[in-house]
Amino acid sequence: MELGPIIRALMHNKVRFWLIAIEVALTLAIAINAGAMLFELRDKYNQPSGMDDTNLLTVSTLPFGERFKSDSFVDSTREEDLRRLRAFPGVRDATVIDLFPLSGSGTIYGRRPLGAKSEDVTTPVIVVGRRALPTLGVELTAGRSFGEGDFVDDDVLSEQQLNRNVLVTRELADELFPQGDALGQVIEGQNEPIKNTIVGIVGLMQNGWPHSAIGKRVMLIPGEPGDYNGMRYLVRAEPGSIDALYGQLENLLFEINPERIVKIQTLLESKDRVFNNSLLMVKLLSGIIGMLVVVTILGIVGLTSFSVAERTRQIGTRRALGATRADILRYFLVESWTIAGAGLVLGSGLAYLVNYALAQVADAPRLELGALAVVGLALWITSMLAALVPALRAMTISPDLATRS
Amino acid sequence: MLSYQLKNALNSIRNNPILSGLLICAIGLGVAMSTASLTVYYIYSGDPIPHKSDRLFYVQLDNWELSSSSNPQDETAPPTQITYRDLLGIMESDIPTHQSGMVATYPTVHPSGVDQRPFRAKTRMCYADFFPMFEVPFRYGSGWDRRADQNAEPVIVLDAKTNDKLFGGANSVGRTLRIEDREFSIVGVLDPWRPKPRFYDTFGRNATREPEGIFMPFAFVERLELDNMGSTICFGDFDDEFAAFLQSECSWIQMWVQLDDDRQREAYHGFLNAYAQQQKKLGRFPRPLNNRLVPVMSWLRDQEVVPDEAKGVLLISLLFLVVCSVNLIGILLGKFLARAPQVGVRRALGASRFSIFTQHLLECELLGVCGGLLGLGLSIAVLQFVNQSLDRGGLFALDGMMIGAGVVLSLVAGAVAGIYPAWRICRVAPATYLKLQ
Repeated sequence: MELGPIIRALMHNKVRFWLIAIEVALTLAIAINAGAMLFELRDKYNQPSGMDDTNLLTVSTLPFGERFKSDSFVDSTREEDLRRLRAFPGVRDATVIDLFPLSGSGTIYGRRPLGAKSEDVTTPVIVVGRRALPTLGVELTAGRSFGEGDFVDDDVLSEQQLNRNVLVTRELADELFPQGDALGQVIEGQNEPIKNTIVGIVGLMQNGWPHSAIGKRVMLIPGEPGDYNGMRYLVRAEPGSIDALYGQLENLLFEINPERIVKIQTLLESKDRVFNNSLLMVKLLSGIIGMLVVVTILGIVGLTSFSVAERTRQIGTRRALGATRADILRYFLVESWTIAGAGLVLGSGLAYLVNYALAQVADAPRLELGALAVVGLALWITSMLAALVPALRAMTISPDLATRS
Repeated sequence: MLSYQLKNALNSIRNNPILSGLLICAIGLGVAMSTASLTVYYIYSGDPIPHKSDRLFYVQLDNWELSSSSNPQDETAPPTQITYRDLLGIMESDIPTHQSGMVATYPTVHPSGVDQRPFRAKTRMCYADFFPMFEVPFRYGSGWDRRADQNAEPVIVLDAKTNDKLFGGANSVGRTLRIEDREFSIVGVLDPWRPKPRFYDTFGRNATREPEGIFMPFAFVERLELDNMGSTICFGDFDDEFAAFLQSECSWIQMWVQLDDDRQREAYHGFLNAYAQQQKKLGRFPRPLNNRLVPVMSWLRDQEVVPDEAKGVLLISLLFLVVCSVNLIGILLGKFLARAPQVGVRRALGASRFSIFTQHLLECELLGVCGGLLGLGLSIAVLQFVNQSLDRGGLFALDGMMIGAGVVLSLVAGAVAGIYPAWRICRVAPATYLKLQ
């Protein structure tokens, strides 16, 4: 193909060449970085929670009745609530819990192997009642689940302060015992005289901060959390019945005791709230990328149209000298292909520059070469398509134009 | 002369409405995204109380133990909040002009109306000085006085929204409201008040939340045994009773003071150090003296109030605006050069290069401003969307400053797009085109 003459012609009109190249370069640099941020956020959001999260309802009750200040009344209400919840049609299981996973809040303790000199491992804990594992829908991969003997009652100390048997997630187990022998080991807190024995390991479960680096560390402590300041239940619905339960459980709880405020949410709603910054950013970035592509196409169509209009007589002359319509079309497409290619080379460098700037201000993910290649290719094709419209018009320029004026 | 150029520019814009529309839309989109993300950034990073932010200080006391750190990122940092016993200790000082410890709680409110169910209300527990120190605006009544703090008088202040909800917006000063198991008498109702960001409590990404609906003397934390809604960081062991919690080394209270000059500041810092020395004698405060007074803006920086997301989107949006303007260069170039014969005639008839240049640049700036206005309109929609997604009411909104920024951005965009095409067209040689006519 006549690449030589095309490039020589391009060098004749450097401004047009550079404008399109810069447009393509900027578009690549922005799109790839916005895309990388967007995908990182989406991946974080889409990570599996390990739980049956699509069927889980979070039920918070905040008592205001004075009777709830008595421990025995709290205990009997909890028992009644759980019994009625589990028996309710459409409910697969229910448990009491101190703070919900995926909710943006939780409790953190420090734990390390018994007697170890090492620093404490940051250990998010969740206190759960009986039937916790079947309610959460998490998978026990080693050891055993909680038995009746694990729920020792104590009136003075809180659950977290007793030497409980605990379950930990695989992620936390490996953090505490990198050799992978966590099962059966005892862990302690540096500042507390408390010892926990790991009796089982849960394959995967996210805690209250799924967006954080420690999002998959959980230590489950058996207990009966809840008092005047709130009692929370996690309810697992039978598949398909979560929407119906959403409206019915409030009444059920009011039937048992109306002296409380009840708030029901699906676990996924609560997750969306935790991720609201990220979800918003995903939407904004998608919008910007979409508009960016439209504006760039507009720019390329405009510039190529201009270059066709400018060269009308030249094209007529070429046609008169025997160039076919296909030759003309090919000429403009190859020209566009060359310019976009140059733009992409420029843009790849620029992309890393923008990425560096973003990493400085906003902890942006590093660019992946594969993604750069894919986006670059897509942009190359897009810019060719954008040039196609004016190129088709150039094709129809009749040879006699050259002879007329 | 200028009006003639303006007329020419307007004519040119009107002659090609579709193209002009496209140009305006492109600038509009760029300006919309940039202005919206600039506004979000500006509100996160703004000075919430400009005329006295250098006189308000956040108090940090280092009661932490030797063997570990309260902050894994910065080993030397004192805990970000203070303990209950230290609050009581340092509130004894009479050095600060104003001082208040504070914490968010969530007690139950029992409205007296028959059809109103009890509800939980976010409540700020604070001292009398909270209101004058932060210059909180009152619609009715006022805050309570220091005596009410000392005697734990059951008084409260409502914000405008809560007063609307409970009393239909009427002057409720003097009326009572049952909270938990006590009657509180209302002494003041606020005008709408929304510091941006909510500097006095930024924990847990709270910086863009509204202030609480109810304000109550701090003494009732102990009297009503109210749990802290924010973060509590503890070391050491304590019993599961509220009294034990209050005596523990848990830090959970924010402390603000107003110190009007350096002397006062030094005196107060000296007081804090003396307090810590005295606590060392009691076996507390094992770390070296590390008590800090942090002014508002430094505190907001320490707390990293501006989310990374806001910075990232701002940078991407501004780059998007650059792309929009660069794209317009080519289109304008085509548009202007198509007019070259006309310009040639005008040049031959004596128009100077300068006047041709200014007329075309004027045209671009007109397009830029039109795009800017469109963009400002669109940015209102974008900000509305942001408010909705983050559940932040009307927090993210344009103000005069941001409207100005939007106009400046659109002028810059117009100039970036227009200078080269305008320069090219003004250099048209008259003779070439005269021949063709």
